[in-house]
Amino acid sequence: MTTPKPRIDHKWGMVVDLDRCTGCQACVVACQSENNLPINTKDVFLQRRAYEWIRIERYWEGEFPNVKARFIPIMCQHCENAPCEPVCPVFATYHNDEGLNVQVYNRCIGTRYCANNCPYQVRFFNYWEPVWPERMRHQLNPDVTIRSRGVMERCSFCIQRIRRAELTVERQEQGKLDHKTMKERNFLPACAMACPTNALQFGDQGDASGPVHHYFEEANHRLEERHHRTERVEEHPSRVYRLLEEMGTKPNVIYLKRVEMFPVKKEA
Amino acid sequence: MQEGRVLPSRQINADLLRSILNSPKWFWISVAFLAFFVLAAFSTAGFLINRGYGVTGLNNQVLWGFFITNFVFWIGISHAGVMLSAILRLSKAEWRRPATRAAEVLTVFSLMTAMLMPLIHTGRPWRTLYWIYTLPFVPYDFARGIWPNVRSPLVWDPSAVYTYLTSSILFVIIALLPDFAVLRDRTTGLSHRIYSVLAMGWQGNARQWKLQIIAGVLLSALILPVFVSVHSIVSWDFGMAVSIKSWHSTIFAPYFVVGAVHSGVSAVVFVMILLRWAYGWQDYIRLEHIDALGRLLVVVATGWFYFFVMEILFGFYGMESDELAVRNMQFMEQPWNILMFFFVGLTYFLPVGLWLTRSWRRNLWLMSIACISVNIGMWLERFLIFVPAQARKQVFTFNWYTYAPSIVEIMIIVGTFAMVTMLMLLLSRVVPLIPLYDIKEGDILKTQVQIGRRTVPATFRED
Amino acid sequence: MAAGEHSHEGMWVFPAPEAVTQDMAEKAEAMPKAIARALAVTGILFALGIAGFVMRALDDGFGAHGPWGYYAAIFMFLFMVTGAAPLAAVAFRFTKSHWRRPLSRVSELFALLGVLNVIMFIPLMIVLPSIKNPEVGVEELEIRRSIWFETPIGAPLAWDFLGLLFLAICSLAILWLSAMPDMAEGRLTATGFRRKLYSLLAGRWYGTKRQWILHKVGLGLLGAFYFMLLVFVQFTVASDYAMSLVAGWKDSIFPPLFTLTSFQSSLGLILVTLFIMRRWGGYEQYIGVSPFWSASKILLGLTLLWAYHTFAFLITFWYGRLEIEQNVLKYFFFEAYGGAFAANLFFSFILPFLILLWNPVRKTDWGPTLAGLSALCGAFIFNLKTFVGAFNAGDVYAIFFEFIPGPTWPDLWDVFMVVGGLGAAAFIYLAATRLFPILSVWETKEGAKYQKMDTLVRGRYLVLAKPE
Repeated sequence: MTTPKPRIDHKWGMVVDLDRCTGCQACVVACQSENNLPINTKDVFLQRRAYEWIRIERYWEGEFPNVKARFIPIMCQHCENAPCEPVCPVFATYHNDEGLNVQVYNRCIGTRYCANNCPYQVRFFNYWEPVWPERMRHQLNPDVTIRSRGVMERCSFCIQRIRRAELTVERQEQGKLDHKTMKERNFLPACAMACPTNALQFGDQGDASGPVHHYFEEANHRLEERHHRTERVEEHPSRVYRLLEEMGTKPNVIYLKRVEMFPVKKEA
Repeated sequence: MQEGRVLPSRQINADLLRSILNSPKWFWISVAFLAFFVLAAFSTAGFLINRGYGVTGLNNQVLWGFFITNFVFWIGISHAGVMLSAILRLSKAEWRRPATRAAEVLTVFSLMTAMLMPLIHTGRPWRTLYWIYTLPFVPYDFARGIWPNVRSPLVWDPSAVYTYLTSSILFVIIALLPDFAVLRDRTTGLSHRIYSVLAMGWQGNARQWKLQIIAGVLLSALILPVFVSVHSIVSWDFGMAVSIKSWHSTIFAPYFVVGAVHSGVSAVVFVMILLRWAYGWQDYIRLEHIDALGRLLVVVATGWFYFFVMEILFGFYGMESDELAVRNMQFMEQPWNILMFFFVGLTYFLPVGLWLTRSWRRNLWLMSIACISVNIGMWLERFLIFVPAQARKQVFTFNWYTYAPSIVEIMIIVGTFAMVTMLMLLLSRVVPLIPLYDIKEGDILKTQVQIGRRTVPATFRED
Repeated sequence: MAAGEHSHEGMWVFPAPEAVTQDMAEKAEAMPKAIARALAVTGILFALGIAGFVMRALDDGFGAHGPWGYYAAIFMFLFMVTGAAPLAAVAFRFTKSHWRRPLSRVSELFALLGVLNVIMFIPLMIVLPSIKNPEVGVEELEIRRSIWFETPIGAPLAWDFLGLLFLAICSLAILWLSAMPDMAEGRLTATGFRRKLYSLLAGRWYGTKRQWILHKVGLGLLGAFYFMLLVFVQFTVASDYAMSLVAGWKDSIFPPLFTLTSFQSSLGLILVTLFIMRRWGGYEQYIGVSPFWSASKILLGLTLLWAYHTFAFLITFWYGRLEIEQNVLKYFFFEAYGGAFAANLFFSFILPFLILLWNPVRKTDWGPTLAGLSALCGAFIFNLKTFVGAFNAGDVYAIFFEFIPGPTWPDLWDVFMVVGGLGAAAFIYLAATRLFPILSVWETKEGAKYQKMDTLVRGRYLVLAKPE
């Protein structure tokens, strides 16, 4: 008989500080190798079927020569009200009690409805059976399933790492599971670990000592206030925002606005 | 209203059973021709399942392409059966009589064909079979708590479609009972035995007729909500999706239903013209029937056009840049704008222009052209609703792309058309596609009223 | 004609044709006490309405549109039911329905209220906020969302007004054309100023074959034109005065739903009028149960369609979970006007559906009437909720409808205007029944010729002729 395991009611969240992001794509590569993503060959790319669980979107602002590149890392936003979840006929994607939007590959039948209903374009369909060159066989991460063709996949916040951290804590510290021990065991997703400028911060929203806690406090507080307001008021300026807030999806990823030292001059 | 002569029952039997009792020369040739395409489509589907979805033209942006378009198209065609049988039966339109059977059978076959589409469309069809297609037949694995997600429109879909399919089959069979009995009495050997079973002991006594009529009327009334729900739910597959702009429109349900009736009734008219030509049923499928259907179609088409205009107009209404991008694509960018032009012309202006004139409604060639043009147009309509909306550049991606179907998809689409035609042809060998008893009943109820110097056709009212 | 075998409900038994004409003329000229009293009461209400209007104008002026919500609602209600009422005659004449005959003039007479609609619309033109934002504030649009986009010349007011005007003219033309044969007969039987009026209106009608053919074609063309124009005007007016005033409310099913509600409630209105005529107006021998029974099936269909369209709207907005759509749902359907929506649903769908479900009830005269009355109440609440809500939904130039206000309750002037509007409509209609025969005599006589009882096998059945 197993005794009920001690647990923390996690609610994971990520904060993306665009002021720190340099667009170096280290997160993309880290994710690719951590999560056993198939290699985006030229063929696949030309078929427009290449995918990355986290990607850097690049935009240009201004007219030449007064021009600036903008970039924003986009991964699954793990929405509280995820539009992708209710439309899946087989519960292959659902919300777990840790605030994560999880994908059950075994259940997925590949209707691709979830991808159509995702406003962030972060869900991808496996058009081909994934193959790796022979010499890369040992590169694959044994903790992560290789998805067969015909299923959907997307960022999982490296759930395998979170689970491994929990297991390690349980095994080594006789179940002293709290935010501190968890942090010591390193549950960070691959992208956050790889980020050289710490632009990606990951943690428990409830952990007051964690890196993301106060950002989520602020964002949720603002949302709450806005819902109870009856007229427009001047809001206190803040860097915190979520993508496509008006969709009502309530993402568990928060973005921090870039602070513009040298803004692009607007034409008069 | 009723032109044409009243024929003796013996001749009605002989004429309408002609398709079953003697087989014309062209019959097996055309069946073989169609069977070739059906087989090709099935092999292609096998290839697709074997190799994976990479062999289609879909990509990260356009995830639903030809298969979904075709699915909605055939579901649309299936709406003819109830429109003609149930609604016209309840409203006691006399001219429905020769059209009902063909319409109902077309309903059944197009529904069957339509449901193949989402099966092939999914990434792992073998699992789809288990999850979705067993829904009406086999109980779920409830013991292990494996449930489908009833919040998903993709679960509403098969529920509605299979309810519709089941009730349509019942509808056809109930209407067929008297005709099966006629066939039972005119065949020998094995076919006699099969028809005996199918006729379910039909004797044609008063009680059986009463029950048959009650069952018919009851089913007509019960099937109507199902009929409306089917295409509404199909439309909600798209209407519920907030992220693809231009799909999330409240008007989709009625718009799709009216469009479905439009294309379905046109298809039935075309089938009737084909039957009339193939089996020489000029005395049964008369010009006045085609004429009446043509007038019905003008009304349906205009209703459809109203909903179409509403849909487009309120697409622009919001003035949201992402929705405008879709509309811009549909109306301004090649090749969508050319398709759009043909779609509107073929669905509304050409056919309605042809249907407005009485003599043109009675010209079978023009009528065929109009009906085919409606169906091409309605196919394009679905395509233009689904694909450009997905192919436009989304908010958060640089990776957008258009869609071109691969040969695999085209083969399968062609195969579905061949399949419905082949099944209709094969069924015409087995059951009369014009209900014998309905024609006879209509003949009995025909009478005349003398007004002044004129003799006006009239009908007996049963209530 | 009086065949004496009144064995079928769908069969009418008439006195001789001349007697019908005579009877109609007498009925139109007589002024029974009940009608005189009703005219007086509705006249007083009419006056109250005008008083309420004047007081509202003095209190609030025409600057802001908010205070005019109830006025807009009552205008929309009258426009909705009376605008669509003549369609019943047009549509059922088009489908050659035999049972429509006693009903067509009743429905066409509502055309006279088109004039009232046009007059009542004028103040609404003044209060409608302009499409271009006069001073663009924070988070406001320069041009508010409307069906007119870049505002063609005169939009939206001139177009709405012209639409209403043409609608009124067209429906009057239908009434005139349809009543022409009756008035030609009336100029022989009527007395006094009616005789002059009839001979003026009947023109050169002598009932030649050519005239009858032209009459038929004219009615068909006018009817088709009226139908299309009505749908169009309902679309423009309804979206200008409801959807466009709620920032960001984008709902393509609203105009069809409005039109559908108008069909349902106008059929209800016609049934109620028919019932009153049959029960208290002395028309019992002309109006059988058959029109009620047949119309009840149409009403049932429209009721179901209403529920279907409402559901299609609700589920799309509810499932989408976009903030703007949630706010619209909260405001109009669940929170601020939640009670009104519940009442609307009850009267427009649940009650009529439960009544009309039963064939024995449908075959009475009171059953369909009750359902019709309920549909009428439902449409009234629909308009109150929609237009009062839309007129008080806050900043019309905002990017989207963000802050949900509470419901707006009527004050005394609003009550005056609402009852006054209803009174005015009833007053005009009642007065019209004193001028024109309320039964379409030619259609009734025509119908009598197309019917007969005949034997089929062992039973006696009704036979209906359908000339091409």
